[in-house]
Amino acid sequence: MAELVPSNSRRCTYFFLYDGSKVKGEGDPTRQGICYFYPEETSLDRQDLLCGQLAGVGRCVSELSLSPVRILRLRRNKFAIRMKDDFFWALGCSLEVPTVSVCELLDQLINLFCFYNGSVRRSYQINSRELLAARWAQYLSHLQSGCSELHYIFSCLRTLDSTNVDPLLLLKAALILQACQRCPLVLAGCILFRGRVVSTQMSPQLTMKVMVHEIETYNKASRPAVERTSSPFGGDVCATTVFLTMSELQFLQSAPIDKDVSSHSTPHKDTPPQRTRLSRTLSDMTFTESETSDPGCSQSYLKVSYSPHLSDCSVFSPSTSRSTVDPVSPPPQFLESPLSNGDHSDEADEEGLEVSYYHSFLSNEGGSSRVHLDGDSPVFEENPLLNGAGEDGDAACGAAFDFRGAEYGHEHEEKDLEEASRGVSSPGHEPEMSGPSPRSGSFDNSEESPLIPMMLYLHRVKGLVLALLAEPHFLSDSASMEEVYHSSLASLNGLEAHLRTVSPGAPGAPGPYVFAHFDCIQSTLTANLSGRPGGAPERPFVRATSLLHSHFCNTETLQEAIIRSAGAAVYGTRSVAQETYFQQYGGSLRNSGIPNYQDSAFSLPSKARHRLMKHGVNLL
Amino acid sequence: MKCLLIASESAEVLFHWTDPEFQQNIQEQYGASQEEGQGLPAFEDSISTQFAPIIISCSTMVDRLGDSYTSFTTENNHIYVLHQFDECLYIAVNGDGEEGEDDLRRKIYVMKKMIEVMFGMVTLSSNLMRRELRPQDTEQRARLWTHLQGLLETYSQLRENDQSFLVEVLAHPSHSFCCLHLFSLYYIILMTSKSMKRLNFRNASTLSTSDLLALIIMAQNMYPSNTDLDDPGPESTSGSGPESFYTPEPSPTDSTNSGSTPVFEFVDPDIQMAEDSLQTLEVPPPDPSTPRRVFLEVSLKEGLYPMMPHSMYCLPLWPGITLVLLTKSPTSAVAMSVYKFLEAFAKLEKRLSEGHEGSAATRGQPTIFDIRSKLDKFIKALGPSEIQSAQLQHVWTEFKNRAFARGGPGFTKELIPWCKNMKTQLCGIYRQCFLIEPGPSDIPRRLSPSLQERAQTMVQEKLMDWKDFLLVKSKRNITMVSYPDFPGLIHFICVDRSTERSTSELGKGPVAQFIKSKVWSLVSTTRRYLQKGYSTVTLRDGDFYFCYFLWFENDTGYKLEAGEIPPLPDDSAPIGMLAWDYYRKLLRYYSKHHQGEVVKCYELLTVHLGVIPSEIILQHCRQLASKLWEPSRNPLL
Repeated sequence: MAELVPSNSRRCTYFFLYDGSKVKGEGDPTRQGICYFYPEETSLDRQDLLCGQLAGVGRCVSELSLSPVRILRLRRNKFAIRMKDDFFWALGCSLEVPTVSVCELLDQLINLFCFYNGSVRRSYQINSRELLAARWAQYLSHLQSGCSELHYIFSCLRTLDSTNVDPLLLLKAALILQACQRCPLVLAGCILFRGRVVSTQMSPQLTMKVMVHEIETYNKASRPAVERTSSPFGGDVCATTVFLTMSELQFLQSAPIDKDVSSHSTPHKDTPPQRTRLSRTLSDMTFTESETSDPGCSQSYLKVSYSPHLSDCSVFSPSTSRSTVDPVSPPPQFLESPLSNGDHSDEADEEGLEVSYYHSFLSNEGGSSRVHLDGDSPVFEENPLLNGAGEDGDAACGAAFDFRGAEYGHEHEEKDLEEASRGVSSPGHEPEMSGPSPRSGSFDNSEESPLIPMMLYLHRVKGLVLALLAEPHFLSDSASMEEVYHSSLASLNGLEAHLRTVSPGAPGAPGPYVFAHFDCIQSTLTANLSGRPGGAPERPFVRATSLLHSHFCNTETLQEAIIRSAGAAVYGTRSVAQETYFQQYGGSLRNSGIPNYQDSAFSLPSKARHRLMKHGVNLL
Repeated sequence: MKCLLIASESAEVLFHWTDPEFQQNIQEQYGASQEEGQGLPAFEDSISTQFAPIIISCSTMVDRLGDSYTSFTTENNHIYVLHQFDECLYIAVNGDGEEGEDDLRRKIYVMKKMIEVMFGMVTLSSNLMRRELRPQDTEQRARLWTHLQGLLETYSQLRENDQSFLVEVLAHPSHSFCCLHLFSLYYIILMTSKSMKRLNFRNASTLSTSDLLALIIMAQNMYPSNTDLDDPGPESTSGSGPESFYTPEPSPTDSTNSGSTPVFEFVDPDIQMAEDSLQTLEVPPPDPSTPRRVFLEVSLKEGLYPMMPHSMYCLPLWPGITLVLLTKSPTSAVAMSVYKFLEAFAKLEKRLSEGHEGSAATRGQPTIFDIRSKLDKFIKALGPSEIQSAQLQHVWTEFKNRAFARGGPGFTKELIPWCKNMKTQLCGIYRQCFLIEPGPSDIPRRLSPSLQERAQTMVQEKLMDWKDFLLVKSKRNITMVSYPDFPGLIHFICVDRSTERSTSELGKGPVAQFIKSKVWSLVSTTRRYLQKGYSTVTLRDGDFYFCYFLWFENDTGYKLEAGEIPPLPDDSAPIGMLAWDYYRKLLRYYSKHHQGEVVKCYELLTVHLGVIPSEIILQHCRQLASKLWEPSRNPLL
């Protein structure tokens, strides 16, 4: 894919989070409710004005219509709005950005925050505004970084140009991920190279979220001032707590993990494992193909469980995996029967703790959770691997761990109170285990979908990163971690070495045409925009694309369109899975505008079909 | 759930229209916030309380941020569109998904247009306008608001049911009645006083399309035609389908030498004759039908004069066919003078507020110096009349002392409030002349009932044959029009924007209803693209293929090169004629690059079945575009 150079103009003009619950009384100053305001250099008066007015108008309109405000337009700005509980978010963009895209951007931003911090209300209860402001700033800058105008229209994943890479490398990446999943604590993973996706098992939205942390740590690591202590594992590993929504978790669980093995720690014990397919990778995301190309490996993986047959997969170096893992004695809990629902007490101590750990999140079993957490820190300290991560000065990681601890502490106190008032579950009572959404994380109220804490594990090998979403106790399970680490290390090294030699790919040859192809399923964008700063010659194309994208979003039945202004004729077409935009340069645009079937504008569809074949875009 | 609200900056409701659902919603919410036992308050209070925070926030944003709200959308897809005209804030709401932002914005502009037609230049003074829209007397207020509500509903109805209203075009048959059948009538005939006298339509002064559309709304509101399109049954196609308007063809403009004309004298010799003859013909009226005052744009040699006073008489000819007579007000010279003065003060105020001072502020035409002696004379002429001009006299003297006196402050920023004050005073004079209910002394100026009757009879006689034709035509059962020469073509609309002709047929019945909804949405979609500068649009949508073309030709039919169409901001007035004469401006813009040529602008919309290959579709469009304006070869007529 062509490198898309950021446009000069700052498209996001304002972003703020306003907490209406802090400004209830007549005399309460507005700024008391301002949790975060971007740009931060905005004068306080103006912050007051915008927050006060927009939130006020938003509330008034919501009351009139009995529904929260979603979009608020001014003559020179448009704002996507999210109103929830007493919170009021507003993201302002210039008018050229399609409204649907601004809304999407705001949702992404809020979701990112929740992914790394959990519930917003709780985050603000246990953290200082300054700390969280830094996070908002970080996520916002991430969403804006390196964005071309097209990225504002389509929020897309940045992926490796697959036409430029040996497919075997992609396969290799996919297999590394599959192998990691043999550890039952690992839910799914993705492999990133220099900020681009090589292979992922997660949904595009989740992959996008995971990437924020990766890019953040990468940026920090690449700064010479920061020294990274190499751990005994020889690479950089860190982990942080993240929060998944129920639907994200269900999506992950419905996918490739061998339920027989892993479900001991997941509460879906009654639901039969859905073996839809083994893995979703970049190359087989479209749900149409059969199993990935190493059926032998896959099958053995399904039948057997953990590591004993790991080395059967040729991509793994047998020596590495064998030397570090004792294949014959996997930790006993991994072999626990999935049906042993009532047997928690019989499980290993560690396992018992984990159960109560979950439990504490919902049913406020403060005591045991406390014990668990207290016990967690020593593990953290003693584990050389984590030690390395902690010592390397990686603030993001460190903060994440600290934060986790802090949150539990607070939660404990808070929940004790709540529990007292509600008289909810006593220890041992497990209401969350029986419901359809049995695992529950922090939540503010019954409406909000619960957020489930998970662990994001990152293993970096130079520009290459293996990111895994794992059960929270993965961190304390040093055996599993070591296993995952060592089983993938050699392969990651190999993959990195190969990918490094791949040229970044000449930016799409500036041909006699310009196109943009958006894959809605994978959230990937292919385009051949030159990316010259300002992109003046491409502006008409981007403008038309923006209009057409909005039209496609608002009109389900619309399949294709040609629009022509004095400067450009642009063709747009879409299906369920993709949107494609095409403009032919050159040729005479001189025409009278009167209908004429010899007009070049009307040959755009066939030209697009023909030209885009070589970019791997099939419009037939 | 729909609503349209006009409010002053201080959140005073100047007008509201709501459907029952919205009204109920407001009442409930207001009731909930009130203490119990107080009973339901007046609806006006409820709606003003509910909207007050929005209105106040709007003015805060304008004052402090220099930006203003244009729309809100909620998660359940309620849309609020806001637009501020001077100190009046218009808010249009839709909660049932039937109207988009564009529709609501158009409604706001139409409302503003109707108010202008009804109140003329008084609308230029927010202060006076506020009082005019919200009379102290509650009964009077109720009457006025009911009338405005009726106009709004009539507009919505026409737009919903009438294709000509949708594309905002008037179809003029080119020469005489014999063309009538080609563009069967919407049953409104407009005449002016002069054409009355001669009983032909050749020499009438031109009315702008925008004004004509507004008049149609008013006439339709007065005599709603009962040709309801929702009538069930295949036979009841009366009034549906083909429609067009008949108006007199453009004629040489009036020659009027106003300005120096003494007040209250008939300006146009023609009019004077007409009025004279009316007076001689007059028989004391037993029950004079009162004309309605309307303010319309008049184009004269020296330029356009907006909001000139006219009297409008609506006379029913047959059910559904109304004769509208327009007479120019004999005192329109006053209006012209007031307009010129207002213009001069507005320009001066603008330059002063832009920071120009001294002689730099007084540049441009007309200058304040040009105006000075004229205004002196004007005030002098007003003196002996019944018009109260003392206040104007007073403010003008003050103004002169400040602006012209030696050693006075001269043309500085301090003069701005005095410019404003002068404008208010002038609008006040205008109001006294044209808006206050005419006393008995005015009656002689009206068309006498006998003359009205005579006109009615004459036109009825003239139209008798055509009326029969229209009846026959209206009974024709059109379920769906098919075009044998154009297989796959379902519907098309072709508009000549230079002469305001349109050709199109739309049938009736379930299929037609479906297609109608497609056509309606196509029109708004293509206008959105046109607003952004795209003059060619083709869409494959479901089972249909839509095309839209806008192009220019010179008067010999030579196709001119497609020009750049300037993109407009999102909150600009919607493209059309009623709210804002977009096409006239477009033609003027385009003509700049084609000096010395007569430029014509055409639009073609087509709906085809999606299975037809696009080459064929484009061929059809081409054929339609080239054939339509040659009557002999017109495939449809």
